[in-house]
Amino acid sequence: MNLVSCSVVSNHELNPGNFLITLKVPRGFARPQPGQFVHLRVGDGLEPLLRRPYSLEGFMEKGALRAVRIYYSVVGRGSRVLAQQEKGTKLDLIGPLGIGFAPRPRRIPVLVAGGRGVAPLLFLSRRLRERKRPFVFLYGARSKSELYGVREVRGGRVHLATDDGSIGYKGSVMDLLAREWTDNGHTPLTAEIFTCGPHGLLHAISDFARERGIRCEASLEGPMACAVGACRGCPVPLLPGMDSGRYPAMCLEGPVMDATVVDWARLP
Amino acid sequence: MKPSLEVRIGGLTLRNPVLVASGIIGYGREYERLTDLSRIGGIVTKTVTLRSRAGNPPPRVCETPSGMLNSIGIENPGLKGYLEQKVPILRELPCAAIVSVEGEDVGEFCELVRGVDGSGAAHAIEVNISCPNVGPHGMRYSTDAGMAREVMSAIRPLTKLPLIAKLTPNVTRIAEIAQACEDCGADAVSLVNTFVGMAVDARTRRPILGTVLGGLSGPAIKPLALAKLWETVQAVDIPVVGMGGIARGIDAVEFLLTGATAIEVGTAMFANPSLPEECVDAIEESVRAATYAGVDDLIGSLEVPEGRGVIRAGRGARREPGRHAS
Repeated sequence: MNLVSCSVVSNHELNPGNFLITLKVPRGFARPQPGQFVHLRVGDGLEPLLRRPYSLEGFMEKGALRAVRIYYSVVGRGSRVLAQQEKGTKLDLIGPLGIGFAPRPRRIPVLVAGGRGVAPLLFLSRRLRERKRPFVFLYGARSKSELYGVREVRGGRVHLATDDGSIGYKGSVMDLLAREWTDNGHTPLTAEIFTCGPHGLLHAISDFARERGIRCEASLEGPMACAVGACRGCPVPLLPGMDSGRYPAMCLEGPVMDATVVDWARLP
Repeated sequence: MKPSLEVRIGGLTLRNPVLVASGIIGYGREYERLTDLSRIGGIVTKTVTLRSRAGNPPPRVCETPSGMLNSIGIENPGLKGYLEQKVPILRELPCAAIVSVEGEDVGEFCELVRGVDGSGAAHAIEVNISCPNVGPHGMRYSTDAGMAREVMSAIRPLTKLPLIAKLTPNVTRIAEIAQACEDCGADAVSLVNTFVGMAVDARTRRPILGTVLGGLSGPAIKPLALAKLWETVQAVDIPVVGMGGIARGIDAVEFLLTGATAIEVGTAMFANPSLPEECVDAIEESVRAATYAGVDDLIGSLEVPEGRGVIRAGRGARREPGRHAS
């Protein structure tokens, strides 16, 4: 983890409201793990005041060039400012931060993405492909036009779900997960789940995993001030009996955590 | 010649007037790769309470226009955890370590001051009698001059370390509370803690913070903080440590001009970890530009229109170094 300057290589709107930004980072920037994040200063002024935490969509190394990619939606003040940053603009970031995904050997990783939560899972899918590990990629979005990166997924079996049925299964990616589990005879010893998306979806997936004893890692999202464990501003509530006397900091002990111990009902 | 930036708070000499506020960088180690602590005066630790605290339910932070609301609830390992885990870290710091403490009653304040004094790692103690986020007891010791007196007079005999009383701005007359602390042997007062604030999400019809109310910090409060500082520096002779919304180096200079002997950097440091160093540079530049021998001459040198007030704070400390450091 370091504070490094970076510059915008490209920043495009890929589908309405969703952008991909590529930021060149110095050579000293540590190689990030899928699921790790950076704390980005989206502009040089005092508005917005705080940095924004973004999971990485990918990390590129081409010759001397090192760059991180972030897939983000314009949802508030920070992302609005970020969307206006043009090629060549200098920004800075702290990273890589936090705990990433940790696939275990000899189990099939089942990746479950909801909406823009696809970003760290695309990163993970590329890493799995590099290691020649087969995986399953389940991806749900509101509509076909909101799907991102699907064609890029290689080395794994992909299934899509959309709310409007414009492509793939019409319904929730949660249904795809249930069907995948039954149809392919997965067990907690043969497969495990990696997921990212809206917290409502993650809540449902964690219930599914807990009931069946499946190992399930989820990437969480939330506001952060320092992102290095100092301010204690990003507490994760845990279920009763799961060390619930304390609040792990999402920035230090997450953003990827064991989904089955998180008290999703108390996590906004 | 390099001007002297040294300032004194009670018996403590700081290499320069720049401190990091409590709750911003933990106990220092969290920021060792982001901020050069050897260049600043010191840090104030996260507040230590007698028993460990898990803190408040989420969400604990929320950005507001030019500001931040927080409701952390003093998540900390307690006095025992402080002594076991944090003291070794503080001993390695390349700057002064000012340990912040808060008790739920006078007895707890006494136990904390004894414990921190005995730990040997603290250069001073900031007495947090002003946290808005820990239930009914949090702020009451600095919203009532009588209660501030009770705490300060109870702990004063227990330590020779400089005592800095941290005050809340959520009062009508902050100067009265500051005077009460001065009367009871405080070496300095620091202000302001956060302003009580609230944010609402109209879409979900819910308050944004888990505790509904929180404390507002950041550039939004700088003018409010300067006004509280101005009120206080006219009323006491002990040094005043100023803070509230410092976001650029020149902001630190504004606080010194207004009579602060030292300043604390807070919220804006989350975006810019180099801010404390930038404050040191800006202060040095101002001292140099005015061809002063040292920062002492800058402190309280605000040119106030005739009849609009006189800055007293810090004069005693400047003329009689180490007044309370017996």
